[in-house]
Amino acid sequence: MTDRQFLIRDLLVLFGLTGWALSLPFYGSEFMVSMALTCLMYVTLSSSWALFCGSTRYLSLATSAFFGIGAYTSALALAQLSWLQSIALGAALATAVAVVMGAAVLHLRGTYFAVLTFGMTELIRHAITYFEKSVTGTVGRVLTVVPERDAIYLTMLALAVLALGTSIGLRRTRFGLALMGIGADEQRAQTLGVNTRLIKIAGFAMTAAFAGAVGAAMSVRWTYIDPHTVFNPFIGFQTVLIALIGGAITLWGPLIAAIVFSLLAETLRLKLPHLYMMSLGLLLILSVLYLPGGLASVRTDTARGWWRDTQAWWRERRYEWSGDKERDKRRERERRLV
Amino acid sequence: MSEPRVNGLHVHEHGPPPLLEARAVTVRFGGLTAVDAVDASFGAGELVGIIGPNGAGKTTFFNAISGVTPPTSGRLIADGRDLTRKGPHRYAAHGIARTFQTPRVFADMPVRSNIEFGLKFAGRRPRRYVFWGEEKSVPWALRTPESILTLIGLSAQAGLPAAAVTPSQQRLLEVGMALATRPRMLLLDEVAAGLTESEVEDMARLIRRMRDELDLTVVWIEHAVTTLLRHVERVIVLHQGRKIADATPADVVRNPEVIEAYLGDEMIEGEPA
Repeated sequence: MTDRQFLIRDLLVLFGLTGWALSLPFYGSEFMVSMALTCLMYVTLSSSWALFCGSTRYLSLATSAFFGIGAYTSALALAQLSWLQSIALGAALATAVAVVMGAAVLHLRGTYFAVLTFGMTELIRHAITYFEKSVTGTVGRVLTVVPERDAIYLTMLALAVLALGTSIGLRRTRFGLALMGIGADEQRAQTLGVNTRLIKIAGFAMTAAFAGAVGAAMSVRWTYIDPHTVFNPFIGFQTVLIALIGGAITLWGPLIAAIVFSLLAETLRLKLPHLYMMSLGLLLILSVLYLPGGLASVRTDTARGWWRDTQAWWRERRYEWSGDKERDKRRERERRLV
Repeated sequence: MSEPRVNGLHVHEHGPPPLLEARAVTVRFGGLTAVDAVDASFGAGELVGIIGPNGAGKTTFFNAISGVTPPTSGRLIADGRDLTRKGPHRYAAHGIARTFQTPRVFADMPVRSNIEFGLKFAGRRPRRYVFWGEEKSVPWALRTPESILTLIGLSAQAGLPAAAVTPSQQRLLEVGMALATRPRMLLLDEVAAGLTESEVEDMARLIRRMRDELDLTVVWIEHAVTTLLRHVERVIVLHQGRKIADATPADVVRNPEVIEAYLGDEMIEGEPA
């Protein structure tokens, strides 16, 4: 397929999925809508994470920081501003923090970058906890002005579509190409004329804007927020896990993994809460070992390859267990002696 | 090449300013001085070689003049503009392209996309025609990925992933990627290392062609000194980070300091001195 055909296919898939998600509140139960909301949240978070971190291979654990900033912003601003305004404000604040954070740590790579983004998340969380305790004198905040369920759902859907649309569009622009070049060989990209510093900060800020907007939209779902819930590092970890399991450089990988993940989360968490985390870990190990490209890279050939590998493995075991291997070895040794 | 050249150096006192000028460039890594106050100037259309024994600081000097490693002290002036401590993309925007000693191609991308990458970002240079047209100074051979692939002779491999082509083709691709930034000056870091005898000759011919047909200034580091001396017009010799000679190949091989530092007896026998 040509690039244009790929674009049309991607847009059609996005259009279809959007239509399906739009129809869900009309026939789905309360439980299904709430599950879809979680699903949309992780679709947006991991797709926007993969936008920057997937192509540049900078592993950021700061998603929960931006999420929390967005959540707190909307919790504080909803009393004065409208729903959309407070979401925009949350996204803007998260972007501003990301620009500062990016300027400080984006020259580091690999583990150092991951650990520092995580450290900064913790720093922000504890700073807000301290501020709330000593200045405001509260632990958390109760949200009194809450928009209705459909408004939240539609906003989250719009954000998810926006994230996926950006992802579709970005990989066709010069900016997306620059991000990919940074991931492949940063210094080489630099000598070919890419202002890597600027591009990295812009990409990081873009990721943060989405995470901030998602945080702002999702905070109203809890009605009571405290730094512990909204700056929960697990939000960041889960985003990374979903993107990695789905395939961080693919377009639909984060979406597929987010759906699988939220289905797993909702079904397993209710029945077998321990099994849920274990299966998540197992899924990650399996995908890293056998599917380095993520769930989105599964093709019929992949399955066929696994089948062939399993068959070969099984043939080897039969050869070994039947005693034929031992006998062949012995004969080989005897032949050498003669 | 009609402009007067006084020993290859200080041309700019009469003519246009040099494309790139290094003034007392020093690079230190902790206590080690890798490049020690090297002055060098590269004028338009020159073909300059840089030689020196292992650890002489050739590559470090290259990294300094292409912005990859900012110099500890000294100044770098490209086309009359001070680019000291600026990022490598600024050097690229001023028409200074480089290759790396070990080919650093984008292995997952096809050969053609590797070339396109440079072309996409070459536009960072301020253009005279913003909405249409091409930069007037860009030679025809550097306008499209196809023409660049033809120039470096990789048209047949355009669709293959860069990881799948042979190491010598990767070296050519590396040169092609540098050409795609539409440079005025090309810094080649051991492009002929690990190539066979005939491939080295092909590479040397390509380098001469780029200089002659595309009007590029070429600075070429090489370990295979004999080949290099046969093709360049001026040689800079580095030894323990210092510049010990800067003259024509014929003069350099007679320079006693150079002979002592680097070339040894074998070279004098090899060259009709």
